[in-house]
Amino acid sequence: MAEALKQAVETVQSDTDTPDSHGDLHEGTGSEAVPASTSPAPTVENDAEQHPPSTLNDRYLVFPVMPLAALDSPTALAYAVEDRREPNRNLFALVCSPALPANAETMKRLRNSSSKGLMPLVDFGPAFWSPLGQKCMIVIFERPLGGRLTSAFGNKPIQINEYEIIPRFMEHIMPGLMKLASIGIAHRGLRLDNLFYMDKDREHLVLGDYVTTPPGHDQPLVYEPIECAMATPAGRGAGDSRDDMYALGIVITFLLLGKNPAQKSTDEDILVAKCDEGSYNSLCSNERIPLQMIEVVRGLLVDDADGRWTLDTVYNWMESTQQQNIQYMGIVKAKAPYKFKGKNYLSPKIIAHAFSKNITDAVAALKNSAFDLWVRKALNNPELADELATLLTLSKVHEGKPEGSDDILVSKACMRLDPLGPIRFKGFSFMPNGFGTAMATEYLRTGSFQIQGEIISRELIAYWSNVQAAQDSEIKMLVKTFKTLRSFVQLGTQGYGMERCLYELNKKLPCQGGFLQHQYVDDIDNLLPTLDAISNEIDSHDRPMDKHIIAFIATHFETDIQPHINALNNQQEDASLVGLLSLLALIQWRQAHENLFGLSSWVGGLLQPVIGTYHSRTTQRTIEQEIPSLVRQGSLPELFDLIDNAERRHNDTLAFKQAQYEFSIAETEIQATVGEDIDQEQVALEAGEKATAMFAIVAGMIATCAIIIVMLM
Amino acid sequence: MSKSDQETQQNASQNKASILTWIILVGTLLIILAGPTVVVLFFGMLPTLVARLIDRSIGKSATFTVGSLNFIGVFPYIVKLWGTDNTFNAAMGITTDLVAMMVMYAASAFGWLIYMALPSLISSFVMIMQQRKVAQLRGEQKLLIEEWGADVAAIVEQQRASQQENHTEKSLTK
Repeated sequence: MAEALKQAVETVQSDTDTPDSHGDLHEGTGSEAVPASTSPAPTVENDAEQHPPSTLNDRYLVFPVMPLAALDSPTALAYAVEDRREPNRNLFALVCSPALPANAETMKRLRNSSSKGLMPLVDFGPAFWSPLGQKCMIVIFERPLGGRLTSAFGNKPIQINEYEIIPRFMEHIMPGLMKLASIGIAHRGLRLDNLFYMDKDREHLVLGDYVTTPPGHDQPLVYEPIECAMATPAGRGAGDSRDDMYALGIVITFLLLGKNPAQKSTDEDILVAKCDEGSYNSLCSNERIPLQMIEVVRGLLVDDADGRWTLDTVYNWMESTQQQNIQYMGIVKAKAPYKFKGKNYLSPKIIAHAFSKNITDAVAALKNSAFDLWVRKALNNPELADELATLLTLSKVHEGKPEGSDDILVSKACMRLDPLGPIRFKGFSFMPNGFGTAMATEYLRTGSFQIQGEIISRELIAYWSNVQAAQDSEIKMLVKTFKTLRSFVQLGTQGYGMERCLYELNKKLPCQGGFLQHQYVDDIDNLLPTLDAISNEIDSHDRPMDKHIIAFIATHFETDIQPHINALNNQQEDASLVGLLSLLALIQWRQAHENLFGLSSWVGGLLQPVIGTYHSRTTQRTIEQEIPSLVRQGSLPELFDLIDNAERRHNDTLAFKQAQYEFSIAETEIQATVGEDIDQEQVALEAGEKATAMFAIVAGMIATCAIIIVMLM
Repeated sequence: MSKSDQETQQNASQNKASILTWIILVGTLLIILAGPTVVVLFFGMLPTLVARLIDRSIGKSATFTVGSLNFIGVFPYIVKLWGTDNTFNAAMGITTDLVAMMVMYAASAFGWLIYMALPSLISSFVMIMQQRKVAQLRGEQKLLIEEWGADVAAIVEQQRASQQENHTEKSLTK
């Protein structure tokens, strides 16, 4: 069953990867998304024994056998929750998909902060989810008793007239958006099917889930500003309140019209229409927007984010209904269309979008003088034409090299054509500040960093920053960040590489290390206890650290661990093992974890090569005998002290040198006695002759003395 | 032949000439000052002179052995000479005395006997002692290897390799 559910969740991911404007309407009612219909309906009703409730933070029981399909998010399924301390509390849980990085940073900031207009986020955290057989992020919300806004209309069109839109919708939603904006967070999930009534009387309307996926991931394309809509759902970026304002404009439009006017259009058609005509015109030109609402809808659907109505403008409009200033920027559009792949395009934005999807044809078009002429004459932008020509020249200069590839050429050309749009490379498109979440999502699904690595290595972000009209501090910071990431990629060793980039850009992403994939370790404080807990389940011959775990530590551990990483990267196994042990010991010591019996035993079993670095067999035996007692204490620092004690190692080295000297002296004496070029018998004979001569001399002297004495007497 | 070898040979021949000069000088002086004693010594110590001539051993052990015992046989007659009539006639009397000469030469013969017998006995003893010493050193080396591993012997191999290298270099230089 777990496998089936996994597949189902992955299906949801792939469904939502391709934003489908049809997906935002519900069975012809005109304005409701249908996550429930495409989401994997759990089939665990009769599996209570097989799937016991998951316990979150020792307080909340989440019941896998009690799904609440009516409250599902597109990628997070809803389940019933029981609060152990307050059993009467109405709660529900959204179980995040393991295939998507949850927005835990936002969860942390909004836990227990009640605000009008927002569905209260009660608690969150990782917990074992038996249907998937792994730990998942679970978010507990207060349960909206009135259900979805879209359900409140039954079979009638979801429509609110111009007189009721402020009291029934805007007055409820605006405080929530204001609260989020005040703490620098954008909701990025404002859409019709994500609005709920907290009360049974259906008066208290709130914004639904916005934390279970990367920002904007669940939004159908129509709700997103043009730039974000062209990026992959996971790469739309955190955005800001201006993006929420755009979505607000779309929701107001749908509510006023009682339908989605672009319901029958494909995503591509919607994008083309928005680019060619502007968002307001593309959606409302053939519809009748009530007169007093035209101003607010136009203001919110301005495609230039800087000219779009802000929260304050909307508040002012709501309170005074005075006429507000709309800074409407004209759409950049050519005088004549450019035909590409059989379709006519007027806007450079949408041409960039089309180019990114057809690299070969795009290169041919870029090299064709007709396109150059179109840019110069029809688009009246000779500077852009010159820049594109320069790109082509540079591409020729670097021909045969990666930086001269067609993909790079088209990517850079797209940036020139659509500087505010997403960065597009090899089918991977993302807003620059959404690179982290897009990369994480891609890795969680495919297990590959290939394209993202190329993006960092080829410095596409730096190029993107160069094509921006204004160089604000955010862009400068982004460029600096990617410069650092590039150095990580170039190093590529353990603790660096793409893994490090992944965690640097996604601070709350759970560690993807081989042993931890199903453990949801997103906090370094939980790393060692988790490794300790799983130590009995894995092959103890494997090291407890891989590139992911080391990169995770390097990202999150505040102490300087460079020397440990250097040791870990040592080619010699023993030095690398000492690095591993020292790093683990440092973490245990710093975090004051006690009694890591399993991990100590695991690591202790790997240390034979390190013990072998001591020359003295007596020392080796002593260490081997002491390891079990230290393992029983569960102390990695003490294990490290035993294994790599500086004094012991110094003494061992000195004693070894002394032993070498003694061996050498003995060998010299042996060679002097029985060496290859020594005639032992001859030497002995010579010694005998010398001894005889000495004997004779002594005898002579004695005899002489005796004779003298006798003569004198 | 190199220049330095030529210089060495030249120095050696100069030294020999110098020593011979000194011997002649001292001999003449001794004959003048103690002529009778020198006569007795010369004839009495003839076996030693012969031994010196035929002695091929490096330390001239045969010469020292025979000479020492030969001197034991000669010395009483020298003392007798000094004690009675220290003249050339008395000296010639001793050298022509058969018994005296027998005593002197028998002593030297005894020296030869000792030299023939004792070195082999001592060498056997020395060989046994050397073998015991080698066995003891090997035992010590074995203990070192048991305690420190085969790496402890690596330095010996390094030294050998280094010596071989030096030897090869020298050969190539020559």
